[in-house]
Amino acid sequence: MEKILKVQNLVKEYGSSFRAVDGVSFEVAEGEIFGLLGPNGAGKTTIIRTISTILSFTSGKIEVLGLDNREHAEEVRKNIGILTTDIGAYERFSGRENLLYFGELYGVEKGMLEKRIEELAELLDMKDFIDKRTGKYSTGMKQRLAIARSVIHDPRVIIFDEPTSGLDVLASQTVRNFMKRAKDSGKAVIFSTHQMYDAEKLCDRVIIIHKGKTVAYDSVENLKRETGARDLEDAFLKLVSDN
Amino acid sequence: MDLKSIITIWKKELRDTLRDRRTVFSMILIPMLLMPVMIIGMFKFIQSQSAKQSQQTLKVAIAGADYAPQLADAVRGQKNFEITQVDTDPKQAVADEKIDAAIIIPEDFQAKIENEEPVQLNFISKSTNLKTSNAYLAILSTVSDFNKKLLQERFTDQHINPSVLSNVTLAQEDAATSKETGGFVLGFLIPLFIVMWAIVGGQYTAIDVSAGEKERKTLEALLLTPVKRVDIVLGKFLAVSTVAVVSIITAISSLYFSFVYAGKMGVPIEANMNTGASMPVAAGLGALNFSVEPQAVLILFVISLFLVLMFSAIILSISIFAKSFKEAQSYISPAYIIVILPVVLVNAVPGFQPTLMYFAVPAVNAILLFKELLMGTYDWAHILLTLISLAIYSAAAIFIASKIYSRESVLFND
Repeated sequence: MEKILKVQNLVKEYGSSFRAVDGVSFEVAEGEIFGLLGPNGAGKTTIIRTISTILSFTSGKIEVLGLDNREHAEEVRKNIGILTTDIGAYERFSGRENLLYFGELYGVEKGMLEKRIEELAELLDMKDFIDKRTGKYSTGMKQRLAIARSVIHDPRVIIFDEPTSGLDVLASQTVRNFMKRAKDSGKAVIFSTHQMYDAEKLCDRVIIIHKGKTVAYDSVENLKRETGARDLEDAFLKLVSDN
Repeated sequence: MDLKSIITIWKKELRDTLRDRRTVFSMILIPMLLMPVMIIGMFKFIQSQSAKQSQQTLKVAIAGADYAPQLADAVRGQKNFEITQVDTDPKQAVADEKIDAAIIIPEDFQAKIENEEPVQLNFISKSTNLKTSNAYLAILSTVSDFNKKLLQERFTDQHINPSVLSNVTLAQEDAATSKETGGFVLGFLIPLFIVMWAIVGGQYTAIDVSAGEKERKTLEALLLTPVKRVDIVLGKFLAVSTVAVVSIITAISSLYFSFVYAGKMGVPIEANMNTGASMPVAAGLGALNFSVEPQAVLILFVISLFLVLMFSAIILSISIFAKSFKEAQSYISPAYIIVILPVVLVNAVPGFQPTLMYFAVPAVNAILLFKELLMGTYDWAHILLTLISLAIYSAAAIFIASKIYSRESVLFND
């Protein structure tokens, strides 16, 4: 499987004293769900923001589809879709209008954009509320809209940062199914979370980050075997406490 | 620069603004309605207060009336005076506000008149009682008439023609045209309002598209799109400027038509304006001419546009530092005062003659130039310096705004 996202020795420093990310390396292939795991404050969001080009980094290299993300920032952003933890929407616009706006900014042609919105509304079970103003949306509705927004341009790399946060069981299941479908259609999916149960069910391989450093980088099964843990949560706790 | 993205963002921000009732209300409806209410209301108030004041009765005491019966009779004949007897010291009675004013005639009044010596009357009033300013003028007029009559009698006794007293007279004639005086009147309010609305007109939108994006947590999603930062800034900036321009046009048109049509609503502005020493006196009291030449309108519009561009960029730059709408407002308020204070001072100082360098000071230059244009004065050195300096400031402000929008520490200061 072709590795379409490559992160090499990524370092992000703030000032001269604080390293939020300290020499992290990993690769993600098409057609896999890759877990970016770690406790709160580990550096996961910083890694995601540097991959997406909205944050600069101190040293290292990031390539998306062979493009250096420092030299080809706009091109990289065209090929990445990111669901961040900020799921805000423009409240005086409907869900559809929000998606039309972002679709235009991603350069999706009008005819294709309208078709894409219908597809996503179907996939994410949004048909009942997509034409209502987002100011009236619940958290679950906003989350699904944010997912649709992040993939409106059908990117080859999708990064989900805590996608099931604040969702009920049914909504969480919808999101998980979406991620699986994305993987099956050949996307490179990165799943950033501290929910080990979801990570275990979905991820093929994972990297575990703690205090900006790599603690483990392997398949879920290998990690469980090496740590002698029953599940990924146990393995995670053992690895993090060792560090 | 990607024009398509800039226009997409511009259109979206404008649509968002129009859907916000608060913005439409404060930026468009309020100036449209407020101006006529303010202008007509202000002049109606002045008119009614003047009428009220002219009908007010003042309680006046005359101490020593017996010493100058003719003078006392002249004072009693004044309209709106209610002559009152006081038992106490008249000065104390005025201080205690039992009466509004008192005239004290000295005991030796008649003796001094007969000896052709000067004699002083005392007029007692309280400066905190504004009613008495008219009383003083009325008494002064009465004393002046008494003096004139006395002199006429003395001249007649000396077989001198009393008309020598009035050999030289002074008649006032205004060389200013009604258009110039109309322009002078417009020049008090319109320039100040243009500058104010250049700031205030787009303020709400500027905060909404910058700090508001952070507060709503939509900024990151926008930055994740392939659109360049400078294009995002330009799209938002154009939206802010558009709203500010519409706001100015609405406010100024409303203000202008209030002046023009005030007379038809029973508020004759020229009569109201001829009350202060600083106001021009239109010869013959013909109606003031509020027409503005097309070339003046064009220059006014271009200058206003540059003001809008400059202030829109400044407010955008300040707002993005804030994490919320409320915080942004607290940053902008002091900035607003810093800009408005010199503008108000320049507008209010009577007879201010600016040197050329004032036409390089932003906002101040606009006020000064607007006043000149409204009076039909075209000083091309002033016009060019104002245009060029504002163009430079606008470009600098836009450049700084785009740089600020590239700073991670500003965008992600959560």
